[in-house]
Amino acid sequence: MTDQAVSSPLLRLPAVPGVAVALAGLSLLFALASPGFLTAGNLSNVLVQSVILLLLALPMTLIIMTEGLDLSMGAVLTLASLVLALIVVATQSLALGLIGALAVGLAFGLVNGWLIAGLSIPPFVATLGTLGAAQGLALVVSDGQSVVGIPRFVRLVYSGETFGIPTPILIGAGFYALFHVLLYHTRFGTYVCALGGNRDALTLAGVAWKRLLVAVYMLGGAMAGVAALLMTARINAGHPTAAIGLEFDAIAAVALGGTSFDKGNGWLFGTLLGVLTVGVLRNGLNLMAVPSSVQVACIGALVIAALLVDSLRSTRS
Amino acid sequence: MSALMAIKPDFDTTSPPPATAEATPLFELRGISKTFPGVKALDDVSFALWPGEVHMLLGENGAGKSSLMKVLCGAYQADAGEYFHEGEKVEIRTPADARKLGIAVIFQEFSLVPYLDVAQNIFLGREFPSRIPGLVDRKRLYREAQAVLDLIGLDIDPRTKVHALGVAQQQMVEIGKALSQNARILVMDEPTAALSDRETERLFEVMRQLQAKGVAIVYISHRMAEVFALGDRITVLRDGKLVGRARPGQTTPDELVRMMVGRTVDMSYPRNFAETPGEIALEVRGLSSKNGIRDIDLTVRAGEIVGLCGLVGSGRSEVARAIFGADEVTAGEISIFGKPRRGGPDAATMAGVGLIPESRKTEGLALIRTVADNLAVAGLPKLFPNKLFSPTQARRSAEELIKRLRIATPSPNQSVALLSGGNQQKVVIGKWLAAGTRLFIFDEPTRGIDVGAKAEIFALIDQLVADGAAVLMISSEQAEIVHVCDRAYVMRGKRIVGELSRSELSEENIVRMGMHHD
Repeated sequence: MTDQAVSSPLLRLPAVPGVAVALAGLSLLFALASPGFLTAGNLSNVLVQSVILLLLALPMTLIIMTEGLDLSMGAVLTLASLVLALIVVATQSLALGLIGALAVGLAFGLVNGWLIAGLSIPPFVATLGTLGAAQGLALVVSDGQSVVGIPRFVRLVYSGETFGIPTPILIGAGFYALFHVLLYHTRFGTYVCALGGNRDALTLAGVAWKRLLVAVYMLGGAMAGVAALLMTARINAGHPTAAIGLEFDAIAAVALGGTSFDKGNGWLFGTLLGVLTVGVLRNGLNLMAVPSSVQVACIGALVIAALLVDSLRSTRS
Repeated sequence: MSALMAIKPDFDTTSPPPATAEATPLFELRGISKTFPGVKALDDVSFALWPGEVHMLLGENGAGKSSLMKVLCGAYQADAGEYFHEGEKVEIRTPADARKLGIAVIFQEFSLVPYLDVAQNIFLGREFPSRIPGLVDRKRLYREAQAVLDLIGLDIDPRTKVHALGVAQQQMVEIGKALSQNARILVMDEPTAALSDRETERLFEVMRQLQAKGVAIVYISHRMAEVFALGDRITVLRDGKLVGRARPGQTTPDELVRMMVGRTVDMSYPRNFAETPGEIALEVRGLSSKNGIRDIDLTVRAGEIVGLCGLVGSGRSEVARAIFGADEVTAGEISIFGKPRRGGPDAATMAGVGLIPESRKTEGLALIRTVADNLAVAGLPKLFPNKLFSPTQARRSAEELIKRLRIATPSPNQSVALLSGGNQQKVVIGKWLAAGTRLFIFDEPTRGIDVGAKAEIFALIDQLVADGAAVLMISSEQAEIVHVCDRAYVMRGKRIVGELSRSELSEENIVRMGMHHD
């Protein structure tokens, strides 16, 4: 990250990434502005509500590290959630529902990866296309209606507790640990960094990188499938617009976290901080009764502000 | 007729160098050809490598050296030809095939991943599996990387991310990466281009150790001193063909240069020195900039080539950038043809200043655009006074410049990325000609340009000043400054420390001034 000395007094003190400053600043602000913010219950709430975003932001970090992008994640999550809901309602089997959701995610990931790695279509365009496809299919599958009658055992995935800790927090922590190991302790992670940093280096090292790139997008799809389970459990239904636009939050969290859009320069812990920052912002604004449309604008402004800090720092070095 | 020219292409392949007694070459290429659309990159090239030899590969840029390397390492597949490894016929279709045969290549353009660390880069694609399935053994990774760094004498932490290293260190990491593959055949493309003397010495030492172990080294270089100091045998390529072989003891630099360019080139770059320089084109007084240069005074007159020399890092490029308006000036004055220069590069361009930057591919050209686009880009206001772009006019202007500068390109619509270094440099010069530039600032004008094209570039610069332009030229090649410049300023520690007139201009004087310690 940015560790060089800086000249401006404003920027000299915090050798801390912009996202950490943003998270601390916002928390302080909301703690002062709203008495309900700094309570154990609310903070646990923030964590629980951040898990779905984290599940998307983790693979999004890897995708962005490959100099890619996945705009279809929110729509794929929505479609997967509907499929899961339909299967669960019909069969009363959580396993079958989850398999269905994962299958939807993996299929879209495969198509994204094939378009991008195989046909060399720019990721922005390719995933914009599949976003439309997934959104359309979601409307077809649901006929524009919500799928209701979600059984209690599904709802418990989101609202239940395991070992006294809310289950979603455990799921989020587990996947964060998994991605940490994947990115920093496996060949795959090394190659993800090289995919964005220097693909020729991979070719010369004899690594079949196109397959890897497809795998990265399939990982994104699979995680949308996992997130679909939590989303269905959370809203107690399958809804055709449930997660539309959630990719915006995910990309914002990754960008906030200091992962750059070129050269494979990523930071997974930064993504976690970015997700929490978005979560704190949404939660705090909710407490202050700010409408959700304004919240989106606030997230956008925050991303720009945080990146500005990092950019000022790196250009001064 | 020299002995060298008499050697036929398939003559030397069967005679091993005297140093070794083995009957079969370690590796042999026979009749390799490779065609790209419009270019025959390699045409029936055969050559053999014996264990323990350093085989010098010479040729101008575009002669086919890089293509040959890429064929050898499996990055390109040859259209025709055969490979023999210790006398047995083998196939090289992928980089993995080449690696299995013990072939490792050190590329000039780095094959490093910026945000991976040194160890991860050295062992990219060859990570050590941990006892836990699927994971990488990081302890071993860093231990082995440290051993490689010790071998090449590079004193850095293997956990350093590569982007934080300097160019020379990156080059050493690249060398370490190739060495770590226990290569039996090591191919190096101008490995010393970015290295300091100390690092170069260390590299040569490592090469000698490898030679003693029987490793065959293919070494591409533009530096004659290296060719004669290190080479056991020399192979010369030109236009994709093998045009000659020689041994260092039996040839001369002049002879090799003649083979490379296929014609006689006078290494002394003839100049028509002007008797009386013209008006003052550039006057700099007390200039300091945000980039650290201090109290710079210099003058360049029309009809003059003025050198700006000194060690790398002495502030030469920073002076060029400040004059061109690319860096913020903090004190002092710059006047161009008698008028004070204000504003940024756009204003400088309008005032008749053109910068031919050191990094041609990133700062001098828009690589993905065509020759015609690049030639038009600086001269838009002049070429299109009514502010509307006209493709016909752009093409006409481009064709004129291509003819005038003798740019070797199949058409103005060729992508500029596909031209050789020398021709790309001509395009950069051409874009300023189109803009009506009268003060040219050259920053390392011959970097990465082969011998024949160098002479052409200097002839062009000579023509520019003969036509009344003024030239400020930065070069690390002191011989160039001495041969080409009317006079020169020497920089040290971000200041100008002296001026050398034509009669005082010698490599010794430049080095003495530039390195003098107070």
